[in-house]
Amino acid sequence: MTDHLTKANINLFAILRNLEDLCAMEDETKLIVKDCNISIQFIVKNGPEAFLILKDGKCALQKGRKRCKIKLYFKNPEHLNKMFDGKANPILLKGFTKLGFLKKEFPKLVEKLTYYLKPTDQLLKDPKYLEINTYLTMFTAFNAMVQIANHDRLGKLNSSRIPDGVVAISILGGGPSIFITSKSGCLEVNNETDKPIRAYMSFANTNIANAILNNKVDTYSAIGGGELEIRGCIPMIDNLNKLLSQVPAYVR
Amino acid sequence: MNINKYDKNRELFMKAVKVIPAGIYGHLGPAEGCFTPVSAYPFFSQQAKGAYFWDVDGNRFIDYMCAYGPIILGYNDEEVDGAAIEQLKKGNCVTSPSSIMVEFAELMVDTVEMADWVFFAKNGGDVTSFAIMVARAATGRKKVILVNGGYHGVAPWTQQEGYPGIIKQDVENNFYVEWNNFEEVERIVKEHPGEIACFMATPYHHPVFADNELPADGYWQKIRKLCTDHGIVLAIDDVRCGFRLDMAGSDQYFGFKADLMCFCKAIANGWSVSALCGIDALKDAAASVKYTGSYWLSAVPFAAGIACLNKLKKIDAPKHLQEKGKKLTDGLVSIGKAHGFDLKVTGVESMWYMRIANDDSFLLHQEWVAECVRRGAFFTNHHNHFINWALTDEDIKKTHEIADEAFHILKKRHF
Repeated sequence: MTDHLTKANINLFAILRNLEDLCAMEDETKLIVKDCNISIQFIVKNGPEAFLILKDGKCALQKGRKRCKIKLYFKNPEHLNKMFDGKANPILLKGFTKLGFLKKEFPKLVEKLTYYLKPTDQLLKDPKYLEINTYLTMFTAFNAMVQIANHDRLGKLNSSRIPDGVVAISILGGGPSIFITSKSGCLEVNNETDKPIRAYMSFANTNIANAILNNKVDTYSAIGGGELEIRGCIPMIDNLNKLLSQVPAYVR
Repeated sequence: MNINKYDKNRELFMKAVKVIPAGIYGHLGPAEGCFTPVSAYPFFSQQAKGAYFWDVDGNRFIDYMCAYGPIILGYNDEEVDGAAIEQLKKGNCVTSPSSIMVEFAELMVDTVEMADWVFFAKNGGDVTSFAIMVARAATGRKKVILVNGGYHGVAPWTQQEGYPGIIKQDVENNFYVEWNNFEEVERIVKEHPGEIACFMATPYHHPVFADNELPADGYWQKIRKLCTDHGIVLAIDDVRCGFRLDMAGSDQYFGFKADLMCFCKAIANGWSVSALCGIDALKDAAASVKYTGSYWLSAVPFAAGIACLNKLKKIDAPKHLQEKGKKLTDGLVSIGKAHGFDLKVTGVESMWYMRIANDDSFLLHQEWVAECVRRGAFFTNHHNHFINWALTDEDIKKTHEIADEAFHILKKRHF
């Protein structure tokens, strides 16, 4: 069972957040944002707040409020979620002269994101596509997991059982790493950490990471086959996996 | 020292994953069994005898898991297996149960001090669930008090909300307390007068990934009185400890009397049978509960159980297993110390838990255990271990040599 608030947090901080990486990794997306100088504030009544900045060819999404050129308002988390499903429009509070961006560049970015988040077997044969899809899927999954841990009723139960510490999740052989910090049942995700690592979850390579994250291979078989290694404080990973199993209900 | 290779193990596992979920599911498999790294561990056995099993690559292991408890006498014990085979010739799973069922029940009642009757099933989880049902039938109440981190099988009521397949309704009648916290139990009982059917716990606390803890002085006596005063059934899950601490039951070992006791694992040296023993006052309730299974009254495990219990009594197994365990663990600790590692041993020595306490991430411990397994001493890095009767002084000496080499490698790698 899913709830709108958790989904709204996932839409912003797991799905939309991917634009940060896509703008850095993908050539056509880089071209779209090359000359952009725009900031968008998302305000969700009784829900999350975030702002997206596109400047100097880079993209950054952060929590909270900042003075922005465009301000989008949503009546409630469900309204935001409907927008992400393409079934509703936001209420524009500010940025009436910036509608061009919202009608031209922004939809192209969303289209790029959708393209890279919905793989087909054919697309995955392209190594560059595989790399980007794996990266974005990994970050979507773990960022969504953190939102579930912090907002979803069952997610909070599962995260309350995670011992304190940092889990490092990596794709070996030069792939990306992501760090999940657990403290008193609250989770945070970061791209780097200076704290000691208490547990490791390591995918042998990009191919296996992609297969597992796209639910083509189950984690238990991958562990037995040596393609996914878990070590350290395994209760942390065990409970993270229970949170991960909740992600598909929110992210299809 | 020889380092194991596992080519056939891996090959067989790749076949297994095609037709079996997870390849090998459950606690014997690489995921739940915490094989870290997986490359250090065998997956499939070819044969077993005494204190050893051999994997499909022909590697021999001194087995300190005993199939996670059942193999108390050693694999293929001749007396137990002999009794089983004799019974097999007469009949096993028959429309009318064999008379040997009565013989086994009488032996259980004579052996387990608190027992006035016994009910047979297959797995430990069958009888822990049955204990809850009997308590509810007897008291008319539905709430149960359990200890956090305690393990009573895998039925939905034993798991946690949020786990896959578990719903709120499965666990909403459970209260959870911390081990050794009598005040917490007392508070819950007083806050819910007339609602608690059962308090279930293991005789001492043996969770995974955590030091095992014996009961504090007077803990069980206070719990016993609380349960008696409030009409709560005191059920002890002796599935793991049963017949390893005291042949009369682990409640006797800790100086109290349970109302219900669950047995499995060591009861028949690997032949599949479990038992719920109970006091007279709960016999009618036990008879009234609808609970049965196709294989539960099979005769062969009963014959094995009779032979096993009789042998365990004859050899005074708890005492000697404790001695062997102490000899082994004292040696492991001192070898670890000589290399600069603090190997902490907790629980009862015949089924001890150990971890390298130098770091709290288990990373060092997992590495050391892996090096031991590679050299033929089968430990796990997350669970308590088990001594079996077939283990010799020679095996213990060999294990110490393996541990020493493993500690040496660990030290070289990290310090």
